[in-house]
Amino acid sequence: MASGGGAGGSNKTYSFKVVLLGEGCVGKTSLVLRYCENKFNDKHITTLQASFLTKKLNITGKRVNLAIWDTAGQERFHALGPIYYRDSNGAILVYDVTDEDSFQKVKNWVKELRKMLGNDICLCIVGNKIDLEKERHVSVEEAEGYAESVGAKHYHTSAKLNKGIEELFLDLCKRMMETAQAEERAKGNGASQSSSARRGVQIVDDEPQAATAAGGCCSSG
Amino acid sequence: MTHRSERRGIHVDQSELLCTKGCGFYGNVAWHGLCSKCWREENSRAGHKQIQEDHALAERLQREEEAAYASSQQGASQPQPKPQHAIAPFSKFEERKTKEKSRKVHTMSKFFTTSAKTPPKKVPAEAQSTSSPSASRRPVETDRATQEFISFLKTLKPGREIFKQCRAFTEDMAYKRDLAADEMSEYVQDFYQNLSDRLHTHFKGSSERVESVMDEVERYMMTRLYEGTFCPETTDDENKDLAIQKRIRALHWVTIEMLCVPVDENIPEVSDNVVKAITDVIEMDSKRVPRDKLTCITRCSKHIFNAIKTTKKEAASADDFLPTLIYIVLKANPPRLQSNIQYITRFCNPSRLMSGEDGYYFTNLCCAVAFIEKLDGQSLNLSAEEFDLYMSGQVSPERCKAVPSSAEPAALSQMNKSLDLLTGLGARQERVMEGARRLESDLIDWRDGVQHKVQDVLERFPLETQPPPSSTASSSAIDADNVENDLLPPPLQPQLFAG
Ligand SMILES: Nc1nc2c(ncn2[C@@H]2O[C@H](COP(=O)(O)OP(=O)(O)O)[C@@H](O)[C@H]2O)c(=O)[nH]1
Ligand SMILES: [Mg+2]
Ligand SMILES: [Zn+2]
Repeated sequence: MASGGGAGGSNKTYSFKVVLLGEGCVGKTSLVLRYCENKFNDKHITTLQASFLTKKLNITGKRVNLAIWDTAGQERFHALGPIYYRDSNGAILVYDVTDEDSFQKVKNWVKELRKMLGNDICLCIVGNKIDLEKERHVSVEEAEGYAESVGAKHYHTSAKLNKGIEELFLDLCKRMMETAQAEERAKGNGASQSSSARRGVQIVDDEPQAATAAGGCCSSG
Repeated sequence: MTHRSERRGIHVDQSELLCTKGCGFYGNVAWHGLCSKCWREENSRAGHKQIQEDHALAERLQREEEAAYASSQQGASQPQPKPQHAIAPFSKFEERKTKEKSRKVHTMSKFFTTSAKTPPKKVPAEAQSTSSPSASRRPVETDRATQEFISFLKTLKPGREIFKQCRAFTEDMAYKRDLAADEMSEYVQDFYQNLSDRLHTHFKGSSERVESVMDEVERYMMTRLYEGTFCPETTDDENKDLAIQKRIRALHWVTIEMLCVPVDENIPEVSDNVVKAITDVIEMDSKRVPRDKLTCITRCSKHIFNAIKTTKKEAASADDFLPTLIYIVLKANPPRLQSNIQYITRFCNPSRLMSGEDGYYFTNLCCAVAFIEKLDGQSLNLSAEEFDLYMSGQVSPERCKAVPSSAEPAALSQMNKSLDLLTGLGARQERVMEGARRLESDLIDWRDGVQHKVQDVLERFPLETQPPPSSTASSSAIDADNVENDLLPPPLQPQLFAG
């Protein structure tokens, strides 16, 4: 097929689905709204909803369409998790650094995700509300140690102060691209993109001039 | 407040949605108001006609295609890529990825290649002339879909190639009605996949462009394939529909407060949005194309967001959206909910479902249904006992608050007894109705059976119209056996006078 260039090709658009998981009130919605709209607790919002948001990125010359799926965090909806995270490329597991309990919930999610999706999914564990450092109840060492032990990356963020959020999403996108490229390589030379597309990744060859048409935002700075 | 919300809402009489034969299943316009079962029964005699019809359809599509491209074919000799190339590596990979799927993929590649090569089928002469009533049943909709598809494709370089592929595939699917639902789904999904891969690689389409072409492909194909693929008889989709419908009816007592729904229906604008959301989710059932069904869900969701935003003065998050969607589904009790979900899952373009916005709302609908199926006291912050009382219809939410369970006044206990009695009676009536319905359907079966037999006999022993020669005596007709007929003068002929 024409995509024989495999992982090395440069005119591609990646489409990724990322789910947000975590207890209610840890700041999931605040994180995406900050990232996609650069807003926090804004009462004059023009946004109709903050449950499904998208962002276009340009990472080292490759275009990425990111779809971020918010999930209902209430305990009574916990069992619905698998319906939400099916076919996702990444998961952002958020806890509140001032809330020990919310960190335990993250651990449960990690176990479940690994069990259901194996290593196909990129996991990010996010300690939010670091502006409330004085009230911290989850130690940095414990959280980072845990993340490493389960093959996840750990980030500290504050939606309020807009700290650590760009890094979080950029890093995640890069990792998802690596995973997608590895998958492409595994398929071998000239393999079709079919199966990955059916999992939610789409690798698309574009005409060279198309790449310049869609400006996108470059956040690698 | 609870009263209000219960009274309001759409008045879609459930009976209007039911099978016109009264069997209790949902009917469908496409089946002339019958359910799939009754429709099949009605149709079984015309079973072989279906095949002829498919032939006729194939023939007509071929003619349409020729007509559509007859004029615009200067570049007819441009090389057309062979589908096998796109498939061979794909099937290899699939094999590695999921063992269970590989079998189907193999069949698929065979299927796809042959279908792509199959020359237009010769239609038996008699099939063309049959203007059976079932032929006119084929909705105008499908013809319009074909016309629109062709005019859409005319603007594309590989338009002809796309139409050929889709027509061949649709035609072949028509012969695969007895396949299991997930096999049908697999075929269709593999077709989508192969076609979009080729659009990407051979025709160098941008992803947006390819998506829009694939939307039209889905529209064309699924408009045609709807009858055989929606709630197919090989599945128990229909029973699941009935189960969730019953379940939702049993949950009529669930209030906005129990679900923690963040909308205030006292605000006119909000209640207006609630009504619209209910209408949209009900409307889903009337669409034939998966994408159109998705659009209904998306519209429903937007109305929900409006309701939430008007109430809360902030953008809705998933925490707000899901409970509200659950509430809307409970209010709407959308017809054939499971069939619709299954149909979309099986036959929608996968990229729309998996990461697109429509896909997000659809996923939430799936979550809402899963929640409703599993829902218990805990999910509504009720004790198990309270939940059971509501479910059995002994208590309704408003009354429950007023009644202290310890010292029940005599009048109340009397009332509860009466209620119990009523529930019992209701159940009995339900059973009687059930029996009556079964009897009715048995009768219909019996009648059909007898008709069939009579028909059979009639065909095997055609009626002799000549009377037996010996029965002259009993004949009372004046002209009967008038042997002298030949001797009578010929009847007078009118003569023309030139005037
Ligand atoms: N101080 C502080 N508060 C935050 C931060 N992020 C979110 N919040 C607050 O935490 C509460 C819950 O946030 P929300 O985004 O709704 O959490 P969700 O339920 O996980 O979606 C809100 O009152 C936010 O204002 C943060 O970084 N710092
Ligand atoms: Mg939230
Ligand atoms: Zn019926």
